[in-house]
Amino acid sequence: MKRSWGIVILCVLVMVPMLLLTLSIRENKAEQQTINAVPEMKPFESRSSEWGKNYPRQYDSYMQTRKSDAIVDVLKQDPALVVMWAGYYFSRDYNKPRGHYYMLEDNLNTLRTGAPVDAKTGPAPTACWTCKSPDVPRLIKRDGELEFFTGKWAKYGGEIVNPVGCADCHDNKTMKLTVTREHLKRALDAEGRLKYADATYQDMRSLVCAQCHTEYYFKKTEWDDKGVKKTAMVVTLPWDKGTSAEAIEAYYDQIDFSDWTHQLSKTPMLKAQHPEYETYLTGVHSRNNVSCADCHMPYVREGGVKYSSHKVGSPLDNIANTCLNCHKGTEKEFRATVDKKLERKNELSKIAMDVLAKAHLEAAKAWEMGATEEEMKPVLLDIRHGQWRWDYAVASHGAFFHAPEETLRVLAGAINKGQDARLKLRTVLARHNAVDYVAPDFSSKEKAQAIIGLDFKKAVEEKKTFLDSLKQEWFKQGEAKGLYDPASRKDMVRKTSYN
Amino acid sequence: MAPEATRRSDGLFMGIGNGMKYVAIFFILVVTGIFVNLVHESKMLSYLSSDPKVCINCHTMITHYATWQHSSHRDRATCVDCHLPRDSFVNKMLAKARDGYHHSVAMTFKTYGNNLRISSNAAKRIQDNCISCHRETISQMQTNSALYQKVADNTVQMGRRCWDCHRGLPHGTMTSLTATQQNFNIKVR
Repeated sequence: MKRSWGIVILCVLVMVPMLLLTLSIRENKAEQQTINAVPEMKPFESRSSEWGKNYPRQYDSYMQTRKSDAIVDVLKQDPALVVMWAGYYFSRDYNKPRGHYYMLEDNLNTLRTGAPVDAKTGPAPTACWTCKSPDVPRLIKRDGELEFFTGKWAKYGGEIVNPVGCADCHDNKTMKLTVTREHLKRALDAEGRLKYADATYQDMRSLVCAQCHTEYYFKKTEWDDKGVKKTAMVVTLPWDKGTSAEAIEAYYDQIDFSDWTHQLSKTPMLKAQHPEYETYLTGVHSRNNVSCADCHMPYVREGGVKYSSHKVGSPLDNIANTCLNCHKGTEKEFRATVDKKLERKNELSKIAMDVLAKAHLEAAKAWEMGATEEEMKPVLLDIRHGQWRWDYAVASHGAFFHAPEETLRVLAGAINKGQDARLKLRTVLARHNAVDYVAPDFSSKEKAQAIIGLDFKKAVEEKKTFLDSLKQEWFKQGEAKGLYDPASRKDMVRKTSYN
Repeated sequence: MAPEATRRSDGLFMGIGNGMKYVAIFFILVVTGIFVNLVHESKMLSYLSSDPKVCINCHTMITHYATWQHSSHRDRATCVDCHLPRDSFVNKMLAKARDGYHHSVAMTFKTYGNNLRISSNAAKRIQDNCISCHRETISQMQTNSALYQKVADNTVQMGRRCWDCHRGLPHGTMTSLTATQQNFNIKVR
């Protein structure tokens, strides 16, 4: 009997703290639920200021990207580009990128998107909106992916009225990072290195950026819309064979793809977009599992709170909170190191641009002198590959830093291909009595545009008409539909390279 | 009468005795049930692993997790690599049990505030672990500390805590529990 009493007392003694602990765990879990609860946004809410009501710090820092507002005309800086892109809209207008705040504005303003006068006029396809706005996933959901990618850019003018923002990377229910562009998921699964389903949180901190900061092309896709034959230009990442310059080149060669035919040399050309993610993958930071967000969206302290800065920009603006998290050294040393890397890239890039522009001009001369297709075929292939490699190395502005060795290696390959083309061209020119041909001077943007016969003034005039009429109309339409967020264009001043 | 009374009282006593036995068994069952439920509710078994996610079973550690996740130690050392002894399995488990007990008490009676400070016992383990990884870097300091160290903090090796100077390692200088309010991707389960 005594033993039974003993057991009961012991049980009660053990039971009390266990019950208390259980109750406290329950209470804690309820508290966690409250802490975890996020205000749900309506699906495809493309107005960032709406999200900003709940996340003022993230929103304010995102809006700070408007401080990155300088227009740097790269064609003026490197006039060889005008020759290299002859016959392609890039020869008209190409600036250094500005902050996320300006993404939609610059897409509307650039001469590359031309001057449509209604919903059906060109030149750009709808695909050119793909990375510019959180209105895009909404439209893809509404109209279907193939319909979205069918037609001209102007078709969605009154629907796409907000610059890239919260809804591009965040789930509206949980706020977790999410990929809203299917093309990235498909490319990852095709490439095989990292299946989308296996992506960790740390991977996601790069993948949300890789939705846009990659090389892509518009894949011509025939489809049937309830009996009507349509052709979609679907944004596709060419990663089936891998993400290196050579692998993507092989992919494009295999499907016989070209972005345009060069106006002077008649080369079937490739235009690299901005293979930031691809080049980053080869660099030392990637190999050490440092994500885009680690350096471009540093963890910052504001009063008593820490959060990821959404002022995406150069980490050099905030070395103390980025580089110095892992590295020793001073800010001055870091700047000097990065400057040196940039200098090395620029040195090789300048050589490559000079060689390639001359190759185009010499090829044009060869055609003029009566060179045959057979003679020119190997030359054009060298030019195609050379310019692709140069573009792959430099089109992603950060590659010189993300992947210095790879960038210089690919640039060396570009110069080699370009010089190969010129060697072959010298023989062709000799055969056609033009052995002493010297390419004309393309040392300024105006001279270069004159060489390719571009009516720049006309392009600018047409664009200005568009900017003053249809562009304004689009925002009015967006406002009428309740889509447009005026806060997203607060203090917007029209700035272009061609004013 | 006497024997009868004895019998009766015996019988009564016997009755209570048998009853108590059942009561005791009942209590054992109840306690077992509460324990099983507690194992489930507290995810007790997860604490046997070394996964940093286990440390955010409770939201209390979110700031420490988030700040570590943004630090350079992220890919080099997990929570337990620094916070638990690494000399032997037994010591590791003892430290786990000790910390687990203290944490349970603190959680149950809410004896903690927004700014947590390391215990002396844990400070010693952490410093041992700092030294075990960064041995090369501090070898000369170890010699010097024996000769010149005047600040005597007997809880840790070398008489002074590494983080008295290296204050931001690895959690940053601000580790208030209210400091990291939006960590949607590392939510506690």
